[in-house]
Amino acid sequence: MIRSYSSTSGRFDWMGLAFAILLVIVIAVPLLVVFTWAFTEVWRYPSVIPQKFGLRFWDQTLSRADVWEALFISLRLSATVTALSALICLPAAYAFARMKFPGRDLFFLSFLASHAFPKFGLLVAIAAIFLQLNLIATFWGVVLIQLVGTLMLMIWIPVAAFQAVDRRMEEAARDVGAGPLRVFWSITLPQAGPTIFAAVLLTFVSTFYETEGAWLIGAPQIRTMPVLMINFINNQVVVQYGAVLSVILWVPSFIALIFARRVIGTGSFAKGFGA
Amino acid sequence: MADTATLSAAGGSEPAIGRGLKGLLLVAIPVFLVGWLIIYPIFAAILSTLFVAGPDGVQFSTASYQFFFSDPYSRANLALTLWTTSICAVLLLLVGLPIALYLRFSTSRFADLVQSLAIFPMFVPSIILSYALIRTIGPNGTVDILLNAVGLPKLPTPYLTPWGPVIGLVWDNLPLTVLMLTAGLAGISSPSIEAARDVGAGPIRVFWYIILPRMGNSILVTISFTVLGIFSSFTLPYVLGPASPEMMGPFMLRTFNDLYDPLNAKTQAVISFVFCLFFGLFYVWSIARNQRSQSR
Repeated sequence: MIRSYSSTSGRFDWMGLAFAILLVIVIAVPLLVVFTWAFTEVWRYPSVIPQKFGLRFWDQTLSRADVWEALFISLRLSATVTALSALICLPAAYAFARMKFPGRDLFFLSFLASHAFPKFGLLVAIAAIFLQLNLIATFWGVVLIQLVGTLMLMIWIPVAAFQAVDRRMEEAARDVGAGPLRVFWSITLPQAGPTIFAAVLLTFVSTFYETEGAWLIGAPQIRTMPVLMINFINNQVVVQYGAVLSVILWVPSFIALIFARRVIGTGSFAKGFGA
Repeated sequence: MADTATLSAAGGSEPAIGRGLKGLLLVAIPVFLVGWLIIYPIFAAILSTLFVAGPDGVQFSTASYQFFFSDPYSRANLALTLWTTSICAVLLLLVGLPIALYLRFSTSRFADLVQSLAIFPMFVPSIILSYALIRTIGPNGTVDILLNAVGLPKLPTPYLTPWGPVIGLVWDNLPLTVLMLTAGLAGISSPSIEAARDVGAGPIRVFWYIILPRMGNSILVTISFTVLGIFSSFTLPYVLGPASPEMMGPFMLRTFNDLYDPLNAKTQAVISFVFCLFFGLFYVWSIARNQRSQSR
């Protein structure tokens, strides 16, 4: 991000401090509360600090069969969707970035369609099609509906990555006799790799947390972690179950946070959404 | 980052036709998926709600739409959705714009911290956020606990009122709003602002006459994107919002899954499309325009 080095230098940045404090309160406090609940055994109103900390509810939550079942379904779904998405989208992204073919610009823009409609309306329209195909409440029905949601991310970000590769290095390699595969493997992939890896990771994580499609298409047979979590919240079972589940559920996001920062910090991510 | 868009001409020594065919084959499956799972369902939903199988064959009928607009409950849901979406869009701009402006012009060490904090919600899934907000602003939540600790009365909780989803949706959409607005601000050159300052313009005049006219487009794109996301949001309104009236997202899910009524669910979906049509078109149009100007 470009900043001008003129205006605020010298004086203490009171505005920055105010923004930082406000954002910490609004953004960090709710998460801290959940974290505290996860390690709490007794916390009765109106005590500010829990009466008793402990790990008792971790044992209880982790001994529930439905939690493990949902976790495995979620992982299987996310892995399948991400693998399929990478398999079909990455070659397509390479073609969009490097080849000339009729209708290229139009096809490239067509992926915007997934973001140009209110999402849940689109999901309902797809679900109506799946109803006729008997894909409702099946694993592959959920895979398909989640796959659609990953297309834009898995094409637009890798296209940018392939385009950012230095073409002169590829040509130089070709000049000294490297074949196309060798050039791709030794020159193109190492340069585009980190961004593509981030796109794959973001796809996995966003699929893992996808709730609407999984519920609409999967219910009641396919119950993913987020859907199970909604059940926990609705049925008002023990408060700590939800808190423990939240902490466990947050792990993939935390990993994504560490790896994806470099992609999101640059403008390319916002550009991908059309800013 | 201009390179997202530069679909620069591809080089290569192979015959153009063979290369073109290869390119088409490589993009065939994703493009087919867009056609089969986005374009076709939308047209199918529109047609199948307008041409309904009656006693004497398939007939044109607007009955399901007439039902939607004559049913007070459906109308209340639509009204709630429109209300929530507009309040959220306004709040997001009011919160996001100052943060984006600060990030654009600040050079202090707080800037990185503010940016990280503002982007952080992107890494908090909405289901965890819903749960966190229940525990924080729900009945006997942390806010109540803290107010009680300093001897103040409890506030009425926004949980299960229309304000619950508003708080959650603003929280959830803040990162993209800030990122998109900051990207828009990055395009404004510093010299033009310096020049205005040199002739004595205060910060408000600089904002009004220099910055705002130049980022009008990115504000509109940001609003379009958030409106599309919020209009049919599901998780946050379902968990934090009132049961009746409900927003279109939960309403559609209930109609489809619990009432086994695909016709009316599709009608609700088409009505959502129509209400978001302008924002969707504007969003696609402005990205397509960016693409073209960048690919020269």
